[in-house]
Amino acid sequence: METTIDSLLLGFSVAFRPDVLFYAFVGCLVGTLVGVLPGIGPLAGISILLPVTFGLDATKAIVMLAGIYYGSQYGGSTTSILMRIPGEAASVMTCIDGYAMAKRGRAGAALTIAAVGSFVAGTMGVILLTAVAPPIAKFALGFGPPEYTALLVLGLIFLAYMSSTGLPRTLLMAAVGLLLGCIGIDVMTGHFRYSFDIKELGDGIGIVPVAVGLFGLGEILATPSKAVTGMVAPPRLAELLPNRQEWRQSALPIARGSVLGFLVGIVPGSAHIIASFLSYAVEKRLAKRPEEFGKGAVAGVAGPESANNSASTGAFVPMLALGLPTGPVTAVLMAALLIHGVPPGPMLVNEHPQVFWGFIASMYVGNLMLLALNLPLVGVFVTVLRIPYSYLYPLIIMFCIIGVYEVNHSIVDVWIMLIMGVFGYLLRKFDFDPAPLVLGLVIAPIFELSLRQSLIMSNGNWLIFVERPIAQVLLGVGVLLLGLSALSLLMKRRDWRAKLARAEAGEGADAV
Amino acid sequence: MLIAGALVLAASTDLPFGTLASPGAGMLPTVVVVALMAFAAILLLGAGASPPLGAVDWSDAPHALRVVGATAGAIALYVPLGFIATVALLLFVLTYLVERKPLLGALAFSGGATLLAYLVFATFLNAPLPRGLWH
Repeated sequence: METTIDSLLLGFSVAFRPDVLFYAFVGCLVGTLVGVLPGIGPLAGISILLPVTFGLDATKAIVMLAGIYYGSQYGGSTTSILMRIPGEAASVMTCIDGYAMAKRGRAGAALTIAAVGSFVAGTMGVILLTAVAPPIAKFALGFGPPEYTALLVLGLIFLAYMSSTGLPRTLLMAAVGLLLGCIGIDVMTGHFRYSFDIKELGDGIGIVPVAVGLFGLGEILATPSKAVTGMVAPPRLAELLPNRQEWRQSALPIARGSVLGFLVGIVPGSAHIIASFLSYAVEKRLAKRPEEFGKGAVAGVAGPESANNSASTGAFVPMLALGLPTGPVTAVLMAALLIHGVPPGPMLVNEHPQVFWGFIASMYVGNLMLLALNLPLVGVFVTVLRIPYSYLYPLIIMFCIIGVYEVNHSIVDVWIMLIMGVFGYLLRKFDFDPAPLVLGLVIAPIFELSLRQSLIMSNGNWLIFVERPIAQVLLGVGVLLLGLSALSLLMKRRDWRAKLARAEAGEGADAV
Repeated sequence: MLIAGALVLAASTDLPFGTLASPGAGMLPTVVVVALMAFAAILLLGAGASPPLGAVDWSDAPHALRVVGATAGAIALYVPLGFIATVALLLFVLTYLVERKPLLGALAFSGGATLLAYLVFATFLNAPLPRGLWH
């Protein structure tokens, strides 16, 4: 405990440096804007701004990029409440009761509850991250290639299990990602795979062009400019305070959402989206008057908004402690750390304590900044929404091109981004989730390397994966989850994932 | 996906598969392609339960196609023409031709935004943007 406090103090000494504070502020500000603006999510925001961090050191880079991620969770609630447009996918559930509250003249109260809930959950998430990540990293130091192989397999299975688009669809997308991840030189034999004499493909397909294409350009192509309206009136400052009853009604949902969100965040999948959905379902189940949900229930705003913030913090646990991305956002953040020569994983806390603890401490500060930004400045952020989308999306495309090109100064990367943009558009049309594809792309080289290293260790004996206790447990959990998924598929049972898919499709409170 | 999988499988034949005990460069891609084709086949078999292809709303496709065309043009010109000319042209095409904004507004927007982006990236962030014609 004493060591943790000492380390955290070291982190604060880094986080309070004026330059680090500045980049945390920039990250939070951009994150809020990304969350507010429909058509651009945190992944696209982070990917586009990744090249901007090349001139920075690893701490400032990760502090700024992470600020965009958790800042977007705050900002997403603004458009959900005021316009019934989820600025960010995790804010879908907030649309239902947040907008209903706004229609009753309680928009200010809903915004405050969302911001305070986000702050409490974000801070609680960081406290849990501070407590949990270092011991997990210490435990993971004992992991060898077989354990990593089993962990990656479990990660993919978890992703499939948690997906709302169905097991075969998710696994198909993960397979496409794994296949894309196989492109380039095979590190163990030197063979070129699927590079078709394009020398830029020798190094493989980068995560940035794929992520920006699928989530940035793909989103723009699927959003016709005339469908985005910017007419909204922000509440006045005096209208922001909730009344005593609203505070009382929000307290427990915020607490429950914080814990639930953190736990869901650790698990691979679109954690922040799933967390907000589960929190909404829990609050509706526990409510004395569930019929109020969908008509402006305070708990329907407080719970999901807290859960999605806490989940975005929870997602950093496997990333920092195990070097395992649980979603596309953490995958891009991992790529950012790697670009700066800092490999995330169990060694991070010992080899780069300033980065690890500076990053954690910056999140405490960042949550405070976001609370200060989101309430008094809500009017400013809403003004941004008045910029016509027909002027906004050309700028986003410009940033996509600059961002992708600047990573490797490769025009091939920009073409890959365009191809992925079209692919992402088609995936949306046919109801496929692109997130497993990005995860597969990141996991493929790590998985292949650890698998082949394991087989070298065991002289080609595959039993190594069931002879080592940790790998055995991890694979056992994976088999169990596959069994559960297959069972619900065979019985065609409508479980929580089917409900989540309906809620994401905008079918409202009745879907939950 | 099934056809794409079959094509990738055909392209994998020159990669050494190795053995189970010592996988070669071709093993993982082959296993993944076979899995991909299996999942695609499962989806194909269950296609009867899904809404028909005609039920997908394609009303945004013409707009998307125009945006893709403009972006593809910009990518093709990005290195030969350089950042300033290409980005200004891209923004102008998107606002004036695709979005039908007034000519003067589109010109002012594309020129102003390009210069601002150039100042931020090239001057403030020292990012080496392609110079093209000005090389």
